[in-house]
Amino acid sequence: MDQARRFIWVWVVTMLLLGAAVAVCNLLVDPYDVFGSPRIAGFNRLKPEAKNHSMLAKTYQIERIRPETVMIGSSRVHIGIDADDPAWPATMGIVYNYAIPGGYDASANLLTLREAIATGRVKNAVVFLDFQNFLVPAGPNDGGDEDTRRMLVGPSGAPNPDRARQVASDMFLALFTMGALVDSGATIAAQGGGTVLDLRPNGSSTDADFVNAARSDGMYDIFAQKDEFEAARAEQFAKATRGRTGPTPNLDVVAGMIALCRAHGVALTLVISPSHADALELYWRNGLWDRIEQFKTDLAALVSKDGGGAVTLWDFMGYDRETTEPVPPAGDRRSGTHWFWESTHFKKAYGHILLGRLFGGSTEAVGARLTAENVTERNSAVRLARQAMICGGTVRVLTSLANAPPDGCAR
Amino acid sequence: MLFNSYIFLFGFLPVVLAGFYVLGARRRDWALLWLTAVSLVFYAWWRPINVALIAPSILINYCLARALQHFGEARPVAAKAVLCSGIAFNLCFLGYFKYLGFLENVANDLFGAEFVVTQLILPLGISFITFQKIAFLVDVQAGRVTNFSFREYALFVLFFPQLVAGPIVHYREMMPQFEAVRCRFDAEDFAVGLSLFFFGLAKKLVLADPLSRLVSPLFAAAGRGQPPTLTDAWIAALGFTLQIYFDFSGYSDMALGLARFFGIKLPVNFNSPLKAASMIDFWLRWHVSLTRFLTGYLYNPIVLNLTRRRMAAGKPVFGGRNTTMSSFGMLLAGPTILTMLVSGIWHGAGYTYILWGLLHGVLLSINHAWRVLRPRFWPDTKTYARIMPPVGYVLTFSAVVFAMAMFRAPTAASAVAVWKGMLGLNGIALPQALFSRLGPVADFLSAMGVHGVWSSGTLFRDSVLRISALLIVTLGFPNTLQLLARYEPAIGVRPAKQEPRLVRLLRWSPGVGWAVGLAVVAMAGILSLGELSEFLYWQF
Repeated sequence: MDQARRFIWVWVVTMLLLGAAVAVCNLLVDPYDVFGSPRIAGFNRLKPEAKNHSMLAKTYQIERIRPETVMIGSSRVHIGIDADDPAWPATMGIVYNYAIPGGYDASANLLTLREAIATGRVKNAVVFLDFQNFLVPAGPNDGGDEDTRRMLVGPSGAPNPDRARQVASDMFLALFTMGALVDSGATIAAQGGGTVLDLRPNGSSTDADFVNAARSDGMYDIFAQKDEFEAARAEQFAKATRGRTGPTPNLDVVAGMIALCRAHGVALTLVISPSHADALELYWRNGLWDRIEQFKTDLAALVSKDGGGAVTLWDFMGYDRETTEPVPPAGDRRSGTHWFWESTHFKKAYGHILLGRLFGGSTEAVGARLTAENVTERNSAVRLARQAMICGGTVRVLTSLANAPPDGCAR
Repeated sequence: MLFNSYIFLFGFLPVVLAGFYVLGARRRDWALLWLTAVSLVFYAWWRPINVALIAPSILINYCLARALQHFGEARPVAAKAVLCSGIAFNLCFLGYFKYLGFLENVANDLFGAEFVVTQLILPLGISFITFQKIAFLVDVQAGRVTNFSFREYALFVLFFPQLVAGPIVHYREMMPQFEAVRCRFDAEDFAVGLSLFFFGLAKKLVLADPLSRLVSPLFAAAGRGQPPTLTDAWIAALGFTLQIYFDFSGYSDMALGLARFFGIKLPVNFNSPLKAASMIDFWLRWHVSLTRFLTGYLYNPIVLNLTRRRMAAGKPVFGGRNTTMSSFGMLLAGPTILTMLVSGIWHGAGYTYILWGLLHGVLLSINHAWRVLRPRFWPDTKTYARIMPPVGYVLTFSAVVFAMAMFRAPTAASAVAVWKGMLGLNGIALPQALFSRLGPVADFLSAMGVHGVWSSGTLFRDSVLRISALLIVTLGFPNTLQLLARYEPAIGVRPAKQEPRLVRLLRWSPGVGWAVGLAVVAMAGILSLGELSEFLYWQF
């Protein structure tokens, strides 16, 4: 055999060996928990790299775990509520956290709720609604993305014809891509110690990123950075809603969720997610509070009209001991917070309180059950709480507007 | 169909190669016909209508070439008329598809016209194909191409390795090869082709594409009117320069490798341009086949014509120390700027491309002026040869990077914003997370006007590390042409008489070591196929 022919043969054999090695490595490490490979301590137990592939990872996780109770929401719930929290009543069975980080569109909640119910055993759904998703109409969603194609059923409830192809594609990409290989390496490397992010089999995430950021930068920096982001967002919402009247947008998504749950006999708990006073103040000062109150009013009316007694609605968006907790000063990297990581993401400790209030009969002064009858009263109570805490100066917010005197304060 | 796609690598290419070798073992002309047919499939894959658009143009050009041959030297006026018609037809064809919308935009901007901007399907690689067809007509008229059939002409235009993104080839350098090629499996050609192709694939997917994720948000922000700070502007400009560098270098290597599978050698198109020590040198290394085309078919005829006119008028012409300002302007700077303007327009239908072309024209003219003037005030060639290359390198590199900001920016205004940022005029900022870790240095930096911003420290760190690593690869390592020089990877490429030590150390050979090394490189490329992306140079 001449040299060139031997070169080609060696190349071909090496390619085959390398390809097989990559596939086996990715299968065993399973960085996105797509295959459900055994989690081995020191090798692949923690799944830090799943953080950028939450929808992929969680869709396969939930299909394996087939929960009886499912949580739907955004990164707030992903990080802030533990599916293994002792506050979950035992009667609710296996709980799965199907909240997807990064979703700025309420329709994602309907998509994941439909998928959760399609797994076959869901009896309870707890859906956390972020008020920001109900300020301006969502853009068109043609549903043609890979997340939609991966689902068990389509919008009509019929089996999804695109699924098999998407699953094959997911498996192939999870085995044979550079990203998966690099993430496998990073997964193995992350097992060595320290505070490591982990997407657990129940869908909840550890808060290692926040813990590490707090340790290195301090809580002030984390709050300040988020506030700057949220301030820009509030400003955009203010521009987009200026002059806009009419009902709260995107409630059709909630109506869809109510109809879905009623059709499948699933008890639905809707929760308006809590935010820290910093974020609330930003939206207040951008003139969006009336829209937020209208969102609550319209939502309560919708639940009253369509809920049929199987839907409960809670509002945690207000001023209480937890949402007004002070932020450590700039430069302080030692002091922590109890309840919030920053102005929109709450800690699991607060998640525990929240669950106790929702399902444990806790009477702690956090949140309120919302109905069409009491929503006006609740809105007034939140305004009064703001008047007392923000205008009264007992709570100081950190936001970029903190140096300006609070507006809308009764004298 | 993209070279960096699963369907191309695992479907199209194996079928094409198998068909070529099997048919070639029986009859050469069947194999070449097969090559033409699969090239049409390749071209039609993305949009079948592409074939319907390009096929009549090929047919018309062939008829024009036949007419040119028919008139020959016997009827030069008629031949010239046919040639002019052919060039006009090709330019109109290109202009209609590529520039109509832009021209309507310009009319709207300049004259307040209210044209509804036309959106046309741009046939793939139309700019490359058009230039190739024009060159063919000129060569036929000049007698440089005498024998050709429709089958050969179709293969020349459609040969898929260079069909959509070059290099721009000449009939006379391709057809003798097609006539001589054995159309059989040749292990050495295959090994060389394999190496070139997978080096290119890895350059494109592993080195170039990840830069897009760093660069695009920065240019998009500049486009939205957010002026970039010093660090962001440099990351944007350097990042894009390296992105397009590895994108184009990778594509060029893939084209060379694919052609080599069939025993065909393409001309050099990319030869470490960022190692250039002058702007003239840069354009002899960057998109070499375009430079060759523009020089041969535009610049030289203009200069020749103007020189003849000036000589007829008794005016001084360009030449050495006696060059006058007017002769330099008329015979060098003017044609250079015009040629580069055409180059800019060729690259894209937009103001930024035009300005980029003009900028390069001016830079080249300055370089030429320096060559003319330097001996007058710096006659010592020894000190010049010692001092100037590194200085020239830094100047060239900086100029290229600055100009690339114009090439990439969504608008001319945003390019200017990036330039201001690169000069520090938009302020200097570092991510707060990094800033707060600098301790006493942060105080010093604050006093110097540097401040912290809430941008991602991780992204900043990754950007700096990636760009630094790629600069080391770009400037410190030999290119694929050098590594494979012993096997003539492109037409005319031979080993240098004095090969640098690193080249001698890394020199490619069909041995076990390189087979394993190439497999690693190839696997890295194949594993990166998951995220499809288009070639930057494809759109031209």
